[in-house]
Amino acid sequence: MADYFQHPASFKDPSGFVFRANDKFYRQVNQSYADDYHLLMSSGLYKILTDKKLLVPHAEVNENFTQSKDWYKTLLPEQLSFISYPYEWSFDELKDAALLTLRVMKIAVNHGMILKDATSFNIQFYQGKPIFIDTLSFEKYDASKPWIAYRQFCECFLFPLLIEHYRQIDVQKLLSVYLEGIPAQTTAKLLPRKSKFKLNIWLHVFLQSKVGANNNKPSNRTISFSKEKLLRLLDSLESTIKPLRIVTSVQTTWNNYYDETILSKDYLDAKEKIFRDFINDINNGRVMDVGCNDGYFSKILAEKNNNVIAVDFDSQCINRLYVSAKSNNITSILPFCIDLTNPSPAVGFNHSERQSFAERAKAETVTALALIHHLVLSKNVPLPDVANMLAGLTKKYLVIEFVPLSDEKSQQLIANKTNYHTPYDPPAFEKYFSQYFEIERQQVIPTTDRILYRMKKK
Amino acid sequence: MKLFLLYIDPGSGSYLVQMIIAGVLAGLFYFKNLWFKIKSFFSKPKKDDSSENDNVNG
Repeated sequence: MADYFQHPASFKDPSGFVFRANDKFYRQVNQSYADDYHLLMSSGLYKILTDKKLLVPHAEVNENFTQSKDWYKTLLPEQLSFISYPYEWSFDELKDAALLTLRVMKIAVNHGMILKDATSFNIQFYQGKPIFIDTLSFEKYDASKPWIAYRQFCECFLFPLLIEHYRQIDVQKLLSVYLEGIPAQTTAKLLPRKSKFKLNIWLHVFLQSKVGANNNKPSNRTISFSKEKLLRLLDSLESTIKPLRIVTSVQTTWNNYYDETILSKDYLDAKEKIFRDFINDINNGRVMDVGCNDGYFSKILAEKNNNVIAVDFDSQCINRLYVSAKSNNITSILPFCIDLTNPSPAVGFNHSERQSFAERAKAETVTALALIHHLVLSKNVPLPDVANMLAGLTKKYLVIEFVPLSDEKSQQLIANKTNYHTPYDPPAFEKYFSQYFEIERQQVIPTTDRILYRMKKK
Repeated sequence: MKLFLLYIDPGSGSYLVQMIIAGVLAGLFYFKNLWFKIKSFFSKPKKDDSSENDNVNG
């Protein structure tokens, strides 16, 4: 019997659970789920979903690792490279995850099954696309019943998307608090009056907020539903979600950063040349591009590495990167909204259901271009703490750009402030980073005072 | 049998709202169909461009 460790987020569904053993994630199927599992596999549903890359494929392992009496089967799913959470996804990532859930549900219904839950945590991003990961979410479809996970779908997907579409509120912030989704009543208060005049929105949001609020008693009334009605409900959800967009005219921090800066073309070309030279022999393991902006350099990293995680605090940048990677078929970049000065904490039951960013983010190589002046000069993070934080993320190499005080961008940041931590110059930078790293190479970027460093973790 | 339902409380509200929505959509569907029938009665038949379809059994 091997040692195993049950995943702290996998406790809600009695059908089974995820555990870790021998450095791999497995999923146990319990006896109570045996019939549904059999139906999933024998109805052809599993095959069609995995063929279309909508559901994570698995292999059956004939070993009862956990020695539990409930054991029915052990599954070894294809292992994912990085776990992200809905409150780290940009608008289009959440939208694609929503459409994936509906697509999976529709195919399931046509195979005599439904999704018994529709939380956004059942989706992960893998090879550039969302994929459904909870193999035990399918159950036998009873055509006389409505969709049990309808409300959960609305709260986890539809409502956050509507709020961002109509109000341009960064929905990641809301979702990091409303882990189980945003309630209909809250959504109804946040949406503008004009949204009421759209029939689908009125039905799914405003009607639901009224009916849901007034009907908390269990009812004995017999409910008659049909497959036709269910499919029409799913179509209605899909046609509500498909046209939703984020307004890109809102000015964000990085909007057109590269276009507007006078450093632009010459600087970028020179930096790219040195950068390519520095990363030339780095092509193994995960690369984390922190403060990735529009992902110009993430895409360069992705040319040689198939596991690039690109993070930035600007959700619109992350959205643009996601959309552009998707339309160019770049499957090796996964972009997520992460603020390094306020990264995702460990949340959920017992603080262990959802891991903190730091617990998930360690990477072979970390790149941090044009980031340090924002941390030190705008956010007042002392230089030694920046070095410590980046050393925590990095397993092997760090490629980092130092932006000195004399730089035009640094001057902009300190134009209206006098209290920032000094010394902030190359000797101090090198001294603090040398505590954790060995500086292998350094080069001044022509036409600027900026310096690009490549360091190796000690 | 329904033990696993405990963790998503479906709430009678969620079922009721789905029934109302399905009713409204069915009515709408009926009138849309009627409208298309009237339209197609007066115009020539067109080729049907069906989009990507997952409706595959088996």
